[in-house]
Amino acid sequence: MPPYNQKKVCNAKSRNHNLKPITYNLTPIMNLMSHLIAGFPDAETSIAIADALVKGGANILEIQLAFSDPSADGPAIQTASTIALEKGYSTKQGLAIVKQIHERHPETPIYIMTYGSLAFTPGVENFVKMCKDAGVSACIIPDLPFDGDEGLTEACKKHGLENIPVAAPSMTKERLETMASKGFKYIYAALRAGTTGSETTIDQATLDFIDTVGKGGAKVLGGFGIRNGEQSKVLSKHVYAVVAGSVFVNIVLSNEDSAEGRKKAIAEIEAKAKEISGS
Amino acid sequence: MITSDNGFFDKFGGKYVAEIIRRPLDDLEAAFNKYIHDPEFLEELHIIQRDYIGRETPLYYAPTATELLGGAQIYIKLEGLANTGAHKINNAIGQCLLAKKMGKTRIIAETGAGQHGLATAAACAKLGLECVVYMGEVDVRRQQPNVATMEMYGAKVVPVTSGSRTLKDAVNEAMRDWATNFKNTHYVLGSALGPAPFPDIVRTFQSIIGEEVKRQAAERNIDIAAVVACVGGGSNSIGVFTPFIEDKNVRLIGAEAGGIGPNKGENAARMTGNASREGILQGYKSRFLIDEDGQSLPTRSISAGLDYMGIGPQLAALGESGRVEFTAILDKEALEAVKFFARNEGILFALESAHAGAAAMKIAKELPKDKALVINMSGRGDKDIFITSPVFRPEKWKEFLKAELVRLENNEDIHDAESMRL
Repeated sequence: MPPYNQKKVCNAKSRNHNLKPITYNLTPIMNLMSHLIAGFPDAETSIAIADALVKGGANILEIQLAFSDPSADGPAIQTASTIALEKGYSTKQGLAIVKQIHERHPETPIYIMTYGSLAFTPGVENFVKMCKDAGVSACIIPDLPFDGDEGLTEACKKHGLENIPVAAPSMTKERLETMASKGFKYIYAALRAGTTGSETTIDQATLDFIDTVGKGGAKVLGGFGIRNGEQSKVLSKHVYAVVAGSVFVNIVLSNEDSAEGRKKAIAEIEAKAKEISGS
Repeated sequence: MITSDNGFFDKFGGKYVAEIIRRPLDDLEAAFNKYIHDPEFLEELHIIQRDYIGRETPLYYAPTATELLGGAQIYIKLEGLANTGAHKINNAIGQCLLAKKMGKTRIIAETGAGQHGLATAAACAKLGLECVVYMGEVDVRRQQPNVATMEMYGAKVVPVTSGSRTLKDAVNEAMRDWATNFKNTHYVLGSALGPAPFPDIVRTFQSIIGEEVKRQAAERNIDIAAVVACVGGGSNSIGVFTPFIEDKNVRLIGAEAGGIGPNKGENAARMTGNASREGILQGYKSRFLIDEDGQSLPTRSISAGLDYMGIGPQLAALGESGRVEFTAILDKEALEAVKFFARNEGILFALESAHAGAAAMKIAKELPKDKALVINMSGRGDKDIFITSPVFRPEKWKEFLKAELVRLENNEDIHDAESMRL
């Protein structure tokens, strides 16, 4: 589980989400969960991307196992997933990469993000066990809903992992409150952000949403397609950890598919992670 | 098992979706359950079915086919005579009318071959709704006649460039659009699959096919021994089967796409052969063509409408319980069936429906002569001319296409073209 010790940290303004310091980075300004796809654009580069993200201040890694039909993701992640799959990085090969990343960064918790098909087909408990063996701390599987998860939460509990459900602002209040009261340690909140000119604002509806998500004591991992440091700084005041995902995938996609392009992408990713984490 | 138990048909079905798409599904379920019991809605739907779709469609007795096949009396339900040429319009009109009642102004749909997209585009034109159709880039390229028709109806066709750029990717893209725009948008899913409540909704609007068959048979004292339909996602088959599910005297037979063989990548057979397994994809639990990790596999069929990895959850359950029998029909058998019914009955089957025709040709002899075998011709075959012509008359077709290209490149009216001068 996250290597946070019990002392309270820097971010006095945080909204009572029990923010704890991170031992890995010296002066964390925020908890940052950043995202990569195992095997995209290839095994070696995805490991280097994980290195760059950690160096840039990410203290949680959300690693996606590529799936052929990622309907809860945008086109960028779908394209990247297709590339990873073309290179053969499905579950077993993807988790082998995860294991290598875990061995390089044993203090950085790894949350697996993928889709129900990849958990259900081998058997949910079997899948969770494979994740555990690769050093994974939690599972994020958006299309296994919390009230019909095919035994995911139970399997996670059994093997010492967390199941992290994904909440959305469009959920009815009742459904959201039910999710919040289920005793999940973390809940991923897919937020909506308002952008007025160049300034990112978090409106009252979003703040209320975050509050409801965290009502049952869950720590909120929040993201809305963070693109820059200013956005993450605003958001970090309201959530346990800021989530930045497709911004890093887009950096890889916008660079050339060559050794040089990948090198450039890795450098840009580290710089972007630094900007977003504020470290 | 006529309707779902809270979205499930035995172990299949469900609502396996991310929370971002949950609300529109729940709202849709509530609205559907309300309007499907609203006499005003039903009356409006009935009038459109009668005057616009052209219902009821005929139940045609096929005397020559009956004689040649030497078994049961062959009857053909001519869904291909429905406006827009296939059964897809039954569902498209039903859902678009429902969407209008819900106050939606924008309709989105996915399409593979283009038949569902075309039906939805027509329904939107008729009902005054904005229409956006997501279609895999590969399908856009190979199904230009349907793209042209959708645009004629005023729909916007958006080529999907992600994933394998085919039907399943169009579904993903439509889901994304819906998650973002559900306040004013309804997603008209085209088959009896996807997350609940779609399998129940699509079956309900398509059941009119089977209800008519049952009524027509009763009026004419036709004793039905078996009903056969092709099964892609399964909307025409569940539509024609539903009123017969409880009647154990009637055999129900589903014809899947056998493609070129029984192995992985050679077909789109989920209930026969050895290429499929249970899975959770695109919002529902069913049988899918997926690998041992759960990744979708490529499918293959000469019929674009059957070329899909999943089968509707109710049909999967009915197949596992043994109520519906499944058989796989090869590409070449479907082509033979197109020829057989065109020559002998003057009826041109769509390649999809020809799978049902081919299955009927195989089983007719097993059934007694005083009983009826009903084939659901889900669509007519005009749309397949670009696929059937290269098979049946390749040289003449090639000449025609070349001449057309020359004419287009020279920007000539048909009356001035080279082909007119000879």
